Amino acid sequence: MSRFRGAEAFAASGDDWQLLPFRFERLNGRVLVTNMVGEHLVLSGEDFEVLATGELPADSDLVRRLRAKQVIKRSGERAPLSLLALKARTRHARLAESTGLHIFVVSLRCEHSCPYCQVSRQSEDRDRYDMTLATAERGLDMTFRSPSRSLKIEFQGGEPLLNFGLIEEVVRQAEVRNRDEGRDLGFVIASNLALLSDEVLDFCARHNIHISTSLDGPADLHNRNRPRPGRDSWERAVDGIRRVRETLGVDHISALMTTTKRSLDRVRDIIDTYVDLGLRGIFLRPLSPYGFAIKTKSYSAYDAERWIDFYREGLGYILELNRQGLDLTEYFSTVILRKMLTNVEPGYVDLMSPAGIGIGALVYNYDGSVYASDEGRMLAEMGDETFRLGHLEVDTYESIMTSEALLAPLEESFALSAPMCSDCAFETYCGSDPVYHYATSGDFLGRKSESDFCRRNMAIFKHLIDLYENDEFARRTFLSWAGR
Amino acid sequence: MDANEQKSDRPTEVRFAASTTSVDAIQRAAYRFGDRFSVELLPGVDEHICILRSRDDADLDEETENFRVEVLDQTLRVRIRKETEPIRTMILAKAFSRTGVVDPQDLD
Repeated sequence: MSRFRGAEAFAASGDDWQLLPFRFERLNGRVLVTNMVGEHLVLSGEDFEVLATGELPADSDLVRRLRAKQVIKRSGERAPLSLLALKARTRHARLAESTGLHIFVVSLRCEHSCPYCQVSRQSEDRDRYDMTLATAERGLDMTFRSPSRSLKIEFQGGEPLLNFGLIEEVVRQAEVRNRDEGRDLGFVIASNLALLSDEVLDFCARHNIHISTSLDGPADLHNRNRPRPGRDSWERAVDGIRRVRETLGVDHISALMTTTKRSLDRVRDIIDTYVDLGLRGIFLRPLSPYGFAIKTKSYSAYDAERWIDFYREGLGYILELNRQGLDLTEYFSTVILRKMLTNVEPGYVDLMSPAGIGIGALVYNYDGSVYASDEGRMLAEMGDETFRLGHLEVDTYESIMTSEALLAPLEESFALSAPMCSDCAFETYCGSDPVYHYATSGDFLGRKSESDFCRRNMAIFKHLIDLYENDEFARRTFLSWAGR
Repeated sequence: MDANEQKSDRPTEVRFAASTTSVDAIQRAAYRFGDRFSVELLPGVDEHICILRSRDDADLDEETENFRVEVLDQTLRVRIRKETEPIRTMILAKAFSRTGVVDPQDLD
């Protein structure tokens, strides 16, 4: 007697398929199906009807595709459940590692006067807008109280280099504390680079500090967007980028652009500027509804549809440059593609559910106030302290993380229990952004059918899937971006 | 006559058989179109009546068809959710069993 059963024992029996949890969305006659952890496949309308009516054949290409993506399983099969559980656990692993990013607003002062500034900087030279060492040390106490094995300390402003002495002290103290803690500790300075000195560069080189800067595109556009005395913001930023690259290395500098109304017709010029400076990627992002962007009406100068056109044109051009052999990444797409094509949660605060506020990042303001996110402190600078979680002098990490100011928006905005989001096939790619929705609609959840956050993200998800499914080069490029 | 009066004069009525369409599915579909039209839902024993009113001059003729299709999709979503709910709960329990929320032996 053979110790193996015959092939017929492994053949599909045909009528015992069982549905696993999945969601769907119609895409121009085809249907996107995503399984419980967001892995996707696109079906023809006819194939989807077969799935929906439960009339799946014993075996077919469709059945194999659905099984491979854990949309269906055979009765009694356990492996698909274990696989989905493993993937779900991987996706949520970050939750146990809460608060990896700690933002120190070391000064609210800034020598720029950008009309779209989202933090409502103070232009006057006032010491009261600088963080003190005592406040920073309390911020470090809270940073190291976080359970996360990976800690990133980011210095922001205003212009943080205006209080560089404090940055030096925080970095030194954090490194000393970390000798015992052994965390994966990193530092970032978010600076416009106008005040970059050799002393700063030397310190950054010795302490492996990364630099994040702002670059809105070519000189005329950047300088109009970002006025400063001397009208030389672009020249200083470009010179700074070059010096950082030479001193710290190309991997230690990244730039962010902000889309103003004047940027909308110039996405190719903007991308070309990044390429000319040797930057390896660009983050195409819209304005946020906070700070001076609201006061100066910069935020309302264009709508979501216009920004989506800008993004599509930009992504198309980036792919074109990649086709020509250039290795250039669009970072926002990359965050989404990692969520779409891998089981790794990239931890991008705006695209997390539960929301990334508090869990992903905490902000220590110059005056010791603690905020749930950078956008939360931006709202506070506009007079709304809804996302103020406490103060470094009186609160502990425990009291901050269990405060009603944090738990209420987390709970109310949770996408899996939110109308429309809970049914949405894109839910695992998206997130709940309670600060954005509070700023634009007055509640943490927002009405999704009227939300520009939803409109923009849905359009991007659909566009990325369309390219991934129909353009072989885009598919290969996206897989490479997702793996980074 | 101003624009608002014109809109309120042109509501469109759509009916769904109560035996095949749940109020939940209709409400979920109505929510998705909230930026284009409002839906007044009158649940009934035999049929549910929906009165659609345009917002911002949306073309109700076209939107009515989209609404019907969406209600069908929502009905399917409700069925899938109901059918897969136990298995979804089991997968999540298995995923987070190490948290102590469930006894791993209960999952075998």
